[in-house]
Amino acid sequence: MKLLKPSWVNHNGKPIFSVDIHPDGTKFATGGQGEDSGKVVIWNMAPVLREEDEKNENIPKLLCQMDNHLACVNCVRWSNNGLYLASGGDDKLVMVWKRAAFIGPSTVFGSSSKLANVEQWRCVMILRNHTGDVMDVAWSPHDVWLASCSVDNTIAIWNARKFPEIVMTLKGHTGLVKGLTWDPVGKYIASQADDHSLKVWRTMDWQLETNITKPFSECGGTTHVLRLSWSPDGQYLVSAHAMNNSGPTAQIIERDGWKTNMDFVGHRKAVTVVKFNPKIFKKKQKNGSTPKPSCPYCCCAVGSKDRSLSVWLTSLKRPLVVIHDLFDKSIMDITWTLNGLGLLVCSMDGTVAFLDFSQDELGDPLNEEEKNAIHQNIYGKSLAIMMGSQLSSTIIENPEMLKYQQERQGNQNPNGAQASGPENQTPKLTNVLNGESLEDIRKNLLKKQVETRTADGRRRITPLCIAQLDTGGTAAVNSIGMKSNLLLTSASKIEPMKALDSRFTERSKATPGVTSVPLTIGITPLDRVKDSSSVKEPKGKDETSSDSEDKIVVKSMTKRKGEMEGAEVVEKRKKGRPRKDAKMMPISQPFPQVTFLLSTDKEPSRLTTPVALLKLPTPSIQKSFSTQVSTDGVTYLEVENEVSVVSGSRLSQLKWSREGREWDTLLPSRIIIATGSSDVVAVACEDRTLSVFTACGRRLIPSIMLPAPMSALHCSGHFVMALTASATLSVWDVQKQTALVKNESLNPILSGTEATVSQSFLTRQGVAVVSLSNGKTYCFNSSLETWNLIADKQDSLVQCTDFRSCVSSQDALGSMGPLALTQGRNLSAGRLASRLSSTPHHLQQGMTLAFLEKQLASALILLSASEYRHWLLIYARFLVNEGYELRLRELCQDLLGPVHKSSSSSWETTVLGLRKRDLLTEVLPVIGQNLRFQRLFTEYQDQLELLRLK
Amino acid sequence: MAKVQVLNVAVLDNPSPFGNPFQFEITFECMEDLPEDLEWKIIYVGSAESEEYDQVLDSVLVGPVPAGRHMFVFQADAPNTGLIPESDAVGVTVVLITCTYRGQEFIRIGYYVNNEYTDPELRENPPVKPNYTQLQRNILASNPRVTRFHINWEATLDKMEDSENVDPAPNTMLPPTSMPSKAPPLGLMPDNSMDCL
Repeated sequence: MKLLKPSWVNHNGKPIFSVDIHPDGTKFATGGQGEDSGKVVIWNMAPVLREEDEKNENIPKLLCQMDNHLACVNCVRWSNNGLYLASGGDDKLVMVWKRAAFIGPSTVFGSSSKLANVEQWRCVMILRNHTGDVMDVAWSPHDVWLASCSVDNTIAIWNARKFPEIVMTLKGHTGLVKGLTWDPVGKYIASQADDHSLKVWRTMDWQLETNITKPFSECGGTTHVLRLSWSPDGQYLVSAHAMNNSGPTAQIIERDGWKTNMDFVGHRKAVTVVKFNPKIFKKKQKNGSTPKPSCPYCCCAVGSKDRSLSVWLTSLKRPLVVIHDLFDKSIMDITWTLNGLGLLVCSMDGTVAFLDFSQDELGDPLNEEEKNAIHQNIYGKSLAIMMGSQLSSTIIENPEMLKYQQERQGNQNPNGAQASGPENQTPKLTNVLNGESLEDIRKNLLKKQVETRTADGRRRITPLCIAQLDTGGTAAVNSIGMKSNLLLTSASKIEPMKALDSRFTERSKATPGVTSVPLTIGITPLDRVKDSSSVKEPKGKDETSSDSEDKIVVKSMTKRKGEMEGAEVVEKRKKGRPRKDAKMMPISQPFPQVTFLLSTDKEPSRLTTPVALLKLPTPSIQKSFSTQVSTDGVTYLEVENEVSVVSGSRLSQLKWSREGREWDTLLPSRIIIATGSSDVVAVACEDRTLSVFTACGRRLIPSIMLPAPMSALHCSGHFVMALTASATLSVWDVQKQTALVKNESLNPILSGTEATVSQSFLTRQGVAVVSLSNGKTYCFNSSLETWNLIADKQDSLVQCTDFRSCVSSQDALGSMGPLALTQGRNLSAGRLASRLSSTPHHLQQGMTLAFLEKQLASALILLSASEYRHWLLIYARFLVNEGYELRLRELCQDLLGPVHKSSSSSWETTVLGLRKRDLLTEVLPVIGQNLRFQRLFTEYQDQLELLRLK
Repeated sequence: MAKVQVLNVAVLDNPSPFGNPFQFEITFECMEDLPEDLEWKIIYVGSAESEEYDQVLDSVLVGPVPAGRHMFVFQADAPNTGLIPESDAVGVTVVLITCTYRGQEFIRIGYYVNNEYTDPELRENPPVKPNYTQLQRNILASNPRVTRFHINWEATLDKMEDSENVDPAPNTMLPPTSMPSKAPPLGLMPDNSMDCL
């Protein structure tokens, strides 16, 4: 074993809290305290490994330093794929860094170190969730999730493929959470906290698997970190600070039953960090000796507050090596090289140490295949979670499944290039200088830059954009090194004065003044003088006052503008309505008001219905109007009231015309509303009668006497719907001559609201739909005899659902129907929801589920078969994507029905005229897309096949 | 984290006669599109004794600022000599460049400035009343002093303050013993002494 303390790895004497070696072994990151911020530094590994590289001036030691964290950095961790670095700090933030390959060296401006950054690492994501210092971060196997723990007692699980989405916040610790480790198999994540507990959480449902407290009951919360570790074979979890017989230990917890029978003893003070070697070893075969089969073993490094480090092999009872007095202060973090032979340790004293082992000392590391074989042996074929890359290693169990998977891959390939890995989304800077060198630009920058005056006379400079943030190329920009302007005066002559020094760091009172003062208009002269006292120049003062006036003027101007815009919007909306109604035409007839051509005759109604009963508006009577009905073949209805007066009664004429064919009929009263479908024509008259004719003009039934004047009348197919002014609804099937809805009151939906009916229509299946002005839409179900809410514009569920990923392009057609009509515009608004990143994923998931189920039920009650099918498929896709197995099973069971017919079964073979088993045939390929459900797929596929053969 | 990072400030026309305008070429990088302008200021410290003699040489709005790397030259007239105490005209003082966003200062870059006569005769026997035409201004460009302040970058004021600046609930406070040597040196902790509220 070789030991090295590279003195050049330091944070200028400030503590180093974390160290992590990059998976490719070429660099490592340290995190800790910077000058006045947190600091993350990326170092070159080569000078640590080889002395000649350390001496070679041309080999950079420091690759990049980032001082973006506002406070001390407690943890740095590379992702397993090496593309990202995550850091967590006292500023409550987790930052994710990615290397930007676009610009040459640059320095951290103003830092005392003049070393240039060789590599450019850029913060691509800031994860805000914790309300306290972030103590530890950890990437899950395969980088599916990133976990972070904090002194706010919680652990956040971030979706590493969709930052900043939070998958789950694990709550349960009652003390500061100071360490995290993922199970290498991916089934668990373990956390250790100051509340004397170590908790193991399942990744399947993010619930607590076990809570281990016994070994920690004696522990005091005196360590800065509690970095625990899981062995690479997954069999052992080793805690940081634990106590056994009042001696500090590292507790070994067995995966099998979470037994706590063993521990690492020997450190004199609390164990701060445990780190397993990523490799599994087997005994080095000595030359000549008989190859004796030996058990593979793991290797583990333990660091403690007692400033010593111990390295253990699970095959030995005593530590392999113990190094005392390696540091002046507590050990904070340990990291192994991927080959398992190197080890970096960092300490609060601001130094790091490197240990180099030989294979003779540790043993032969198993290769990945052998390691996988061990995993296979212990955990079997079915790995607990099927995420991403793990999926591909799952065995496809039947040929049908294979077929679907292959088809799916075939379909995906054309779009393969657009696969949305996180890499594609990360911003990169690109050069926007058109061939001009930066030096040229700098020479003329002052002349070239655009300077304007704002309305209040202030200078405004448009900065020259020299590099854009986007996803594009990697063109190199000339380095913007600090120009070293040589001073003529010797530096010693400039004696820094203390009074001046303070000015560098204190915010001057004058600075925020100029912009913030003007906001208070009623400021007394005295105050103003005080505020601008530091700005002695009279010009400055003038600026202040003029600024204030202008600001106020602008404010009131913009306010007025806002109002005007509002009015415009209202107007636009009004204009927009007829168009929307026109869209409704295929299904039913819009409100007649819209289609009135003339409004000359405004005689008051002679009917004497009590006003109190008139809840719904009735259309006024017009001299004549025409309306277009049914779109298949342009059909017009023309009404002319009072065409002639015959023996005291006024006759009105109704004229029907379609493509040259026409008929007319006379009615003894003035016509208020006329409407029709392809099959029937319905006419409501002033005398509260309703007449229904066939499309050929034959009267179908004698005039129906209505209880109140007609408010709205719709026809669709053989159905006629009447909404009276006394807020009652009737629907008749005029072909069968039956009433579907009999004078049903709208009171249940109208009472308690100020709302009135804003729109109504009748679906082809004869379901009456009524929209209210408060944004709610109801339909009346005649079998339940209930009003059912099918759409609500204020529904927060709609606002927050996100099922776009479940909608395929072919689905667009299926979504046309009465349901889409009532909520169409809302749905597109709901899609904005995905942008509201504030909604936690699990909540959104729940809301989407609830929404989709509501859609399905609404489509069912509206008897809208195509929409039902549409939403069923989306629902199934959603269940498959999000892994709701129980619901999926229930859905399949309902669609399949009993395999063997029995008389007691109430199972219907069809739903809305769609054969359920046909629907299942459509749903199954969807299920087949997720290998996780392959058993389910196979089960139902087989049963369906069986039924087909019968 | 600050949305705007100052990458470099180059001091142009330095050293120069006292009456020449100040010129700073500022390169900064912005993480995302800023809806509002940045306000830059050059403040000349007239006297080390008192802030009273500070002069805001100029303030400019810089915008629009889309995400990316930008540069501009900030030029401002030399200080009004009438406002500088005669005793402080010659010698070392400070010039500050500050940048504010939504009225909050987030970065302060300070340079030492040495004003001295170029003429050896005047250097030996400086006149009682400073002769500004003979003074040379020399900015110690190689040693900028940068102080960053934690500000609220979002428009939603209260929310941000809650999540970033307020201490965690009392029960989650760290026991003092568990945080050894983590506090930055006293007197130099502008990030933590939040005064933007």
